[in-house]
Amino acid sequence: MENDYGIPTAPIVSARFADYMERDCQSHGVPLRYTYPPYPVGWVSREVLKGYVQGNDPITGIPITDEIINALTKPLTDAEKAFKARKRPERQRLLEPDTEENLYRLFIENGWTDGLPIILPTEERVAEMLTGTDHAPHEQVGMMSVTTNEERLKYTVEKCAVIAVMAGCRPEHFPVILALAASGRPSMPSSTTSFASMMVVNGPIRNEIGMNSGLGALSPINFANSVIGRAWTLMSINLGDVRPGVTFMATTGTTINYNNMCCAENEEDSVWAPFHVRKGFKKEQSVVSLFRGWNVRMLGMAPTKTTREVALQVKGMGRSYTYLIDPLVAKNLKDREGFDDPVKLSEWVAGEMKTPLRGPEAINFIVVGGEVNPFWVATDFNYLQTVPIDPWIPSAGIKKDARPIRMPVPVTCKDGSCGLQL
Amino acid sequence: MDKKITVLDPVGQPSGIFGKRLNADSPMSAIHDPTNQPRDTAENLGSLKMAERLDTLEGKTVYLVSIPFAGSKEFLEELQDWFSKNRPGVKTVFREKKLGWATDEPELWQEIKENGDAVVFGVGG
Repeated sequence: MENDYGIPTAPIVSARFADYMERDCQSHGVPLRYTYPPYPVGWVSREVLKGYVQGNDPITGIPITDEIINALTKPLTDAEKAFKARKRPERQRLLEPDTEENLYRLFIENGWTDGLPIILPTEERVAEMLTGTDHAPHEQVGMMSVTTNEERLKYTVEKCAVIAVMAGCRPEHFPVILALAASGRPSMPSSTTSFASMMVVNGPIRNEIGMNSGLGALSPINFANSVIGRAWTLMSINLGDVRPGVTFMATTGTTINYNNMCCAENEEDSVWAPFHVRKGFKKEQSVVSLFRGWNVRMLGMAPTKTTREVALQVKGMGRSYTYLIDPLVAKNLKDREGFDDPVKLSEWVAGEMKTPLRGPEAINFIVVGGEVNPFWVATDFNYLQTVPIDPWIPSAGIKKDARPIRMPVPVTCKDGSCGLQL
Repeated sequence: MDKKITVLDPVGQPSGIFGKRLNADSPMSAIHDPTNQPRDTAENLGSLKMAERLDTLEGKTVYLVSIPFAGSKEFLEELQDWFSKNRPGVKTVFREKKLGWATDEPELWQEIKENGDAVVFGVGG
């Protein structure tokens, strides 16, 4: 309104976000004249709000109404007329040399980690990570911000390699990391509502790099799942510009932000076409699909007579639903209840929910699990996009270590032939 | 342990590209969507200007525009009540944004341009 329409404007934001707005003015170069009533404004009585209006701005001590009137009538100062955006400085490629101990502390104290131990990104380690792709180190991959309005940070293949090293990845994981970075999507957006994200890998790369899609796929028992999911978080922090209380405002946060429910789909044991095929990709393509929401609930069969009814237990939880279901569930749904295509199931659920859904296309099913319980993980996550991984894989194939690092593979013997293992 | 090593900076580079409010026909989800959210540039932002202020609000029309955050409507209604009792010479017009907190609403802006002299937006956060 100020610039485009020439209308003097008095924006009002609750005092809890005063710092946020002042920084926003500095980064955008417009010295808007904010008035800050006390926080919270929502979910309080009329009497409280009347008191706010008749009271003072807790930041400035000036009566709220005087401040609003002044914002609209007090002539612009020379400083306001000359106000310029505060430009962020370019980053140097290398940090000042220091001892490993000091650098480790520096990374933690600067908020460049998730608080867990990292691998320091030395030039040698980053160079090794870069062998995981044919793309040039200086190639631009994308840009990202956890905020909706602030400056995006851009990043190269090398910068992504730095993140991958920090997360503990090996070069075989790097194509997945680059695909995540190419999406430009942070896993932990700024929103006060504490978003959670999820990533699911489909296609041949799942098995080539040893991802877990079976027993315990969402648990910390698989190296690839763990380090790849973590890399998306470290990427969001460093390339998406997470600064707690400044750009990152999630009020409670969520532990899902640590690993982003990183897993692969159990294509081998699923009776349905793989998720990415249903989204238009070929089975032999390797991709990563991204989701975002808030709520996660574990659902068992007990309260329902039919398998499909389990989906309705989260009715009202959201406007989108993504269900991770054990292969046993998919088999039940297909063999006993006739859902040979999960799209039909999405349509049935949308019809039964009768809540403000975005439609059947907002209801997705992914098969994950080890066939030891017909279990569901129900989320209100919205499907965002599927990103191809193949363009980031070297022409010679995935760069594996001579002896790839693998955690113990869950015992999945289904016929007793492997016998008891003590 | 005292040997110095060199490591790379993990933080991304400033791009000069900013997120921008959504177009009127954008889905709300696009505000978190890097492929669909409109962008702004540092150059464009650098040229933005504040509007000249009014000499007085007496005899003027002030739009009170509520963004759809909890309590915003009620707060601005209380503000409107205050104006009617304490500054009766100021005409206030209450409006609610229809398209969400992040979406441009050019029809409303045009109405304010044609019929108003100033605008109060609230309440964020």
